[in-house]
Amino acid sequence: MTSYFIRRFMLIVPTFIGVTILVFAVTRLVPGGPIERMLQEAAMAGADVGAATTSFGGGASALSDEQIDELKAYYGFDKPVVLGYLEWLSKVVQLDLGTSTRYSEPVWDTIKDRFPISIFYGITTLILTYGVCIPLGIVKAIRHKTTFDNLTSAVVFFGYAIPGYVVAIALLTAFAGNLGWFPLSGFVSDDFDDLGTLEKIWDVTHHAVLPLMAYTAGSFAVTTMLMKNSLMDNLAAEYVRTAIAKGMAFRQAVFMHAFRNSLIPIATSFGSNITLILTGSFLIEQIFNIDGFGLLGWESLVERDYPVVMGILVISSLLFMIGNILSDICVALVDPRVKFGSGETSQ
Amino acid sequence: MPLLSVCDLSAAFDTEDGEVTVVDRVSFEIDPGETLGLVGESGCGKSVTALSIMGLLPKPAGRVVGGTVGFRDESLNDLPAERLRAFRGNRIAMIFQEPMTALNPVQRVGRQLAEAYALHAPSAGAAAVRSRVLELLEQVGIPAPDRRMAEYPHQLSGGMRQRVMIAMALASRPDLLIADEPTTALDVTIQAQILELLRDLQTETGMAILFITHDLGVIAELCSRVVVMYAGRIAEQATARALFAAPRHPYTKGLLASIPRLEGEPKTVLTTIPGTVPGVGELPAGCRFANRCPHGVDVCRERAPPLEGVAVGHDVACHRWRVVEAA
Ligand SMILES: Nc1ncnc2c1ncn2[C@@H]1O[C@H](COP(=O)(O)OP(=O)(O)OP(=O)(O)O)[C@@H](O)[C@H]1O
Ligand SMILES: [Mg+2]
Repeated sequence: MTSYFIRRFMLIVPTFIGVTILVFAVTRLVPGGPIERMLQEAAMAGADVGAATTSFGGGASALSDEQIDELKAYYGFDKPVVLGYLEWLSKVVQLDLGTSTRYSEPVWDTIKDRFPISIFYGITTLILTYGVCIPLGIVKAIRHKTTFDNLTSAVVFFGYAIPGYVVAIALLTAFAGNLGWFPLSGFVSDDFDDLGTLEKIWDVTHHAVLPLMAYTAGSFAVTTMLMKNSLMDNLAAEYVRTAIAKGMAFRQAVFMHAFRNSLIPIATSFGSNITLILTGSFLIEQIFNIDGFGLLGWESLVERDYPVVMGILVISSLLFMIGNILSDICVALVDPRVKFGSGETSQ
Repeated sequence: MPLLSVCDLSAAFDTEDGEVTVVDRVSFEIDPGETLGLVGESGCGKSVTALSIMGLLPKPAGRVVGGTVGFRDESLNDLPAERLRAFRGNRIAMIFQEPMTALNPVQRVGRQLAEAYALHAPSAGAAAVRSRVLELLEQVGIPAPDRRMAEYPHQLSGGMRQRVMIAMALASRPDLLIADEPTTALDVTIQAQILELLRDLQTETGMAILFITHDLGVIAELCSRVVVMYAGRIAEQATARALFAAPRHPYTKGLLASIPRLEGEPKTVLTTIPGTVPGVGELPAGCRFANRCPHGVDVCRERAPPLEGVAVGHDVACHRWRVVEAA
């Protein structure tokens, strides 16, 4: 099995190359591509010097011919396509993703700044989702068709039916606006750097409560119902009857036998959840003014900040591949029948 | 004193057409060390009878609606859940038709076996449990048991899995083994091996077996007494010898006539019983076999026949058994 995963990790390389070829093709083919955009920006900056904070290298407010050449050089416009791609790829591998046209700083720095925020929200959402959905699904399966089951179904489907940004606005208006229990926006307070450790933790948590509720409200339904149905299928399985015929109590059979089997579909969906959550939701980030991945991607797209869009594409495709491998590892952990590759016996 | 006495046991399921009784006032007894065969067509209620005895009917759709199940001097249907658990897997063990689905696919067979033993021997240490598991695997004829116990069910063949199921059932040296068509899912050579194993184990341990099958050939090989069921009711019960020599119920006669035989004239037409079993929703008021019976008369369609003694230990539920006999 280990060798399977080594092979899977090595397969990232060709997949990654495929993704970069696509991304690179976009820079060449799409009208309004990065170079054109740069030129426009430069022209506008030249016309309205006051608004132009864009500056490259020195303090000049307009792009010099030299700088445009530099950009063209970054995307290899002055070279044949293949050579241009190869050189660009070698830069990407070294995390040189070009320069943001909006922030005029290296794309990698722009993205890097958002990482901790997105990872914080991503992982917390993931933990909350599984931490709530798995136990809830279990109880619902055991108490199928009771008041508890019906009531919780109503609640999770209510959350599912309302878009996350509506939940976000509603929560914001009620608990931050009217009641003032929570801060209105941001990831941390402005005076965050001056706070002590405990206060910092409190500050982050305080800011996170409402966005997390908005993030998770919609994701509970799917995972909870998946867990419930999967467990119910397994409760009806013959091996559970065997366990009870051995003299086991029903509850014991649920946890000793049915539970692990019912995790298999949950594990399968784990990978896609990871990537979805890490890339965030621009609407919720927008509403709470959180500088995460989702918001960055959205703004870059609207502003045609192509270097950043490309960078996000490259990085999220990497995350996606890693997520898939993680998901396969999870499946292999719960299901011994899953045999990867050939000539191996899972012992 | 019989080991197991089932008296007027009825079981029902909730279906779309309301509650349907699928096992109707079934009574029989099993003596210690005896093998009783329970035979009948698919759907006649054999498994439901067995599951009712074990208290394993699928909840909440199925339930026992009448009758008693006595084990030695205890009445199993009055027992609270945790007292009943002390019987299950301990005094009464059960094996099922599908050995693949009856084992937990994500747990090593050794662990599943260990669990069966440890449940009823809570004081046994890890070493004692392990040696008992090895002993059991050896007892059911699994080669290289120390290697096999570390495997998962999907790594074993169907026959091996059924052996594991049998080992699991034997874990606490039960007094009664209920075997619900344990060989139906296996191919013929493996079937013979499993039957032989069961017979050997019975001689070795002295346990009683309730053997459920639709194959009268298997009954002939294994059982001392037979209960024939038809559409949820007992049609006839007798010793195997008497049943094969002189069947009384027209249904039993039909069953026996439909066994292909090697001896005798080749290429004779294989007899079948014409018609089909009435579905659970369309059970007639009278004898349930009436619509397929060559001897059926009006009374058969009106009144359900009671079990009548034909001879000592031989009962039949047929209004016309005397007439049939003379014919
Ligand atoms: N879960 C259930 N819900 C509703 N009806 C059921 C259920 N299980 C069994 N039955 C009905 O009970 C009747 C008896 O079924 P049972 O499984 O006991 O048959 P069987 O004699 O064991 O047949 P087979 O030889 O196929 O195993 C059948 O008519 C079946 O339709
Ligand atoms: Mg059956």
